[in-house]
Amino acid sequence: MYWTDDRAWSPFAELRSLQRDMNRLFDGNDGGTAMSRFPALNVWGNGENVVVTAELPGIDAADLDINVVNNQLTIKGERKKDKPAEDAVCHRCERGAGAFVRTVSLPFAVESEKVSAGYDKGVLTITLPRNEATKPKRIEINAS
Amino acid sequence: MKENKDKSLERQPESNAEPTREGPVYVPTTDIYEKEDAILVRCDMPGVEQDEVDITLDNNELTITGRQAVAEPEGCDLLSTEYDTGTFQRTFKVPQLIDRDKIQAKLHNGVLDIELPKAEQAKPHKIEIVTGG
Repeated sequence: MYWTDDRAWSPFAELRSLQRDMNRLFDGNDGGTAMSRFPALNVWGNGENVVVTAELPGIDAADLDINVVNNQLTIKGERKKDKPAEDAVCHRCERGAGAFVRTVSLPFAVESEKVSAGYDKGVLTITLPRNEATKPKRIEINAS
Repeated sequence: MKENKDKSLERQPESNAEPTREGPVYVPTTDIYEKEDAILVRCDMPGVEQDEVDITLDNNELTITGRQAVAEPEGCDLLSTEYDTGTFQRTFKVPQLIDRDKIQAKLHNGVLDIELPKAEQAKPHKIEIVTGG
């Protein structure tokens, strides 16, 4: 057994790796706490709509359950185990499976009837229009 | 080892060569299965279009690259980010005895499946024992 060059232990590579880990920890993108907030969500919005996206590869759209109550959005789902063949032996199993649920508060109450969701290329996109009643109204001043 | 449910596997490539595109490089979470006649590689690649996937087999190194499409809803501002988009890249060493001409790949719901069929000489052969009379 001998070490080839590209696998040789390098103290500098170790230090760089440690630095990256520390940066990640302080950036808040820490894998440890991510467990409680799976799936990771990106939220987009303007005065009219809010759009929530999540990366959820390999899920059957029928296994996703999206609920809205006022300004609370709940995403429930399950990724099932997907063994490719009965006789296949797994050598490396990194892709997890299981159920998840996450609830987030939206910046405003939404029209729950008009919420639409799409699932494409493993990315879930939910579009939530703002509730008409909560939209800001401009008040005209009557000049006397 | 941390649980990598999201893209916390982000890393710089091991080599000193810099990527020519900006953006983070992620290691896609991958399952590798072996069947009697093939090796199956299954990677999570959400948000990657079929024509943005690049699979190369050079000698015995299988390299998988996928660029994520940037999904930006029109007329909206980003209010909160928990994940970023970038490039998925990963290299595996595979055994030599792969039938290169029959490699197949498909992308479905953000999951990439690559089937590497074993060459004839690598498949198991049952050896009959002749009972001497």
